[in-house]
Amino acid sequence: MNRLEPLRKVVDDALDKMDGVIALRKTSGLVAPYLFRDKEELDELTISPKYPTPAILRLIQTAHPEAKLGIVCRGCEERGLIEMAKRNQIDLERIRVIGLACTAEEAEECRCAKPYPSVLIDTHVGVRTEPVVNKLTEELRQKDMAERLEFWRSQFDKCIKCYGCRNACPQCFCPECTLENDLWVDAGKVPPPFPTFYLIRAMHTAGKCVGCRECELACPAHIPLTTLYTLIREEVGEMFGYEPGVDLEAQPPLVLPMEVES
Amino acid sequence: MYEPKIVAYACTYCSYPGADLAGTSRIKYSPNVNIIRVLCSGRVSPELILRTFREGADGVLVLGCHFGDCHFINGNHRTAKRIPVLKGILEFSGIEPERLRLEWVSASEGERFAHLVDEFTETIRQLPSIKQVIR
Repeated sequence: MNRLEPLRKVVDDALDKMDGVIALRKTSGLVAPYLFRDKEELDELTISPKYPTPAILRLIQTAHPEAKLGIVCRGCEERGLIEMAKRNQIDLERIRVIGLACTAEEAEECRCAKPYPSVLIDTHVGVRTEPVVNKLTEELRQKDMAERLEFWRSQFDKCIKCYGCRNACPQCFCPECTLENDLWVDAGKVPPPFPTFYLIRAMHTAGKCVGCRECELACPAHIPLTTLYTLIREEVGEMFGYEPGVDLEAQPPLVLPMEVES
Repeated sequence: MYEPKIVAYACTYCSYPGADLAGTSRIKYSPNVNIIRVLCSGRVSPELILRTFREGADGVLVLGCHFGDCHFINGNHRTAKRIPVLKGILEFSGIEPERLRLEWVSASEGERFAHLVDEFTETIRQLPSIKQVIR
């Protein structure tokens, strides 16, 4: 089913009420996020490949807090927005979310547990498809310690320390990044010594990572980062009963004190 | 057999006096442990623990106050949530999670501290040296 024409129409409608809509634009064969403000530009609107638009929304909203913006969101991007809103990075009051459901192929490629938005959206384009079971994480669970270590070591040895995973991540918004601190990650060493860089990032995104796979897509060395983060997400879910990006009300567990019976 | 190196992060208000009590009571405990005093167990960040491993510690003990005793009211709550997650991460990436342990030791538990350190040293002795894991 074609999603582009309906989406174009929805964005067209949204532009009547909003100052601009963040979506992807294709010019001269290249796709990049773009703030659509003029209806005539909508011919260049496109859908794929996906791009971390929530991070772009945060930048624009920080610079123009009064602007009313629309954003075209896939399931993962909506989850990202929810987690960002909980940490006061974006203002949900001033945005309008246009939902875009992923096709079955896209969901399969991302091993996505929820390939459609459903919480914040006003309008919805596309057909909702079934969640995909992540087989890679299950495979890794079956391995023993030495095999896991071997697997991750061979993966992380490919790292060129480009910080692409961090830069693409909608959940990485600290003004000062621990990964740039010489105290924790040795400067000038490529690949960064195992396990610091990767496990620090894994720890910092625990309880925040929504599994959007942007880090993996951004990685020039094709390190399957989402696999590690999915395992951690499941672990956090088991431990605290918290799943990032699902519920607007649920509070992130790692930043709150515990509930202890006294 | 190798001698494991163990680093214990002990909080100023409960665990460090606890370790002190073990010393002043003349209780013998494993000499493999190196105690580092921190203001609160909540101050022991995951990156600090990872760096400790990278610097060659075979095991890391994080010692804090029992719930309700924390000088900073809920500093140890953060530790209690953070350490299990970090242990999970270590496990998924192939580093034995037993190398990291979180325990509560109060200022009066000198004996418990000594017992804990001995037990932990024996656990770590069973594992290969960290230099074989993190090269």
